[in-house]
Amino acid sequence: MKYILLQIKADTIVVSSIANEITYSNNFWFWLAIIELVVILVLVFKLSHKKNNLAFSELNKDNLKKSQETDIDMGNVMKSINYSSELYKELSRKCHPDRFINSPNQKLAEEIFQEIARDKRNHEKLTALKERAIKELYITF
Amino acid sequence: MWYKVIQIADWFGEMSERYKLVRDFNKAAKDSFINGQAATLLEAKITWGESSYRHAFSKFMGGGFRIKALSGRPMAKYELIEVGKVVVDNEALVRKLVSLGWDTLEVHDNHGVSGCKWALKEHAHIGGFLK
Repeated sequence: MKYILLQIKADTIVVSSIANEITYSNNFWFWLAIIELVVILVLVFKLSHKKNNLAFSELNKDNLKKSQETDIDMGNVMKSINYSSELYKELSRKCHPDRFINSPNQKLAEEIFQEIARDKRNHEKLTALKERAIKELYITF
Repeated sequence: MWYKVIQIADWFGEMSERYKLVRDFNKAAKDSFINGQAATLLEAKITWGESSYRHAFSKFMGGGFRIKALSGRPMAKYELIEVGKVVVDNEALVRKLVSLGWDTLEVHDNHGVSGCKWALKEHAHIGGFLK
C-alpha cells in the first residue's frame, strides 16, 4: 500500500511538471505568433502606404497604370461610321482654301483643311474643327 | 511556381479585356441603332482570323475581329470599306486590338457573300507615335 501511494505521488509530480512545461511552451509560441502578426501588419501597412510618386520624376505610378488602360470611345466610333463621311464632305466644301484666296484667313483655312483631311473619319475631331471654322473663319453652316 | 500563377492570372486578365472591348463595341452599336442614329446594326465577334495576317501577339484561334452589319439588304462594297476604314483609321483602337491579340479586321453583311479584310499590323503605325 505504501509503495502504491509513493508511486501515485511521483506520478503527480511528473504530470504537474509536464503541465508547467506545456504552459511555458504555450506562452512562447503565443508571443511568437503575436510578433509575427505585428510584423505582417507592419508590412501590409507599408505596402498600402507605399510612395506612389516616383523619386526621379513627377510621374505618378497610378497615372502610369491608367495610361496603359486606354479606353476607346465606342460612341465616337459609331458616330464616325454613320456621320463622318457627310460631315467631311460638308466641311471640305465649305472650308476649302480656294474659297479664301487673297484673304487674311487663307493660311488658317489651309491649316484647317489639312486637319479635316487628316481626321476625315473621326467624328469628334471633325465636330471640333467645324466649331473652329465657325469661330475663326466665320463660316455659317 | 509563382511565375506560372502570374502567367495564368495575366491570361485571364487579357481575355476579360478582349471580351470587354467586344461588349463595349456591341453596346455602342446597339445604342446608336435603337436611338435611330444608325441605319444598320453592327455586331462584333471574335473569329479565327486570316493566318497570313498573324503577328507575334496573335491569339491562337482568336485573331479575327469580325464586324457583322445587319442591314437587311446586301451592302455595297464601298459601304463595307467605309465601316472598316473608320476602325482602321482609329490608331488607338487598332493598337489596342493588336496588343490584345487580334490580327485581322473583317467586315461583312448578313445577306451578301462579300466581305473585306484588313491586316491590323499594317495600320497600327508600329514603330511610331500616335498622331
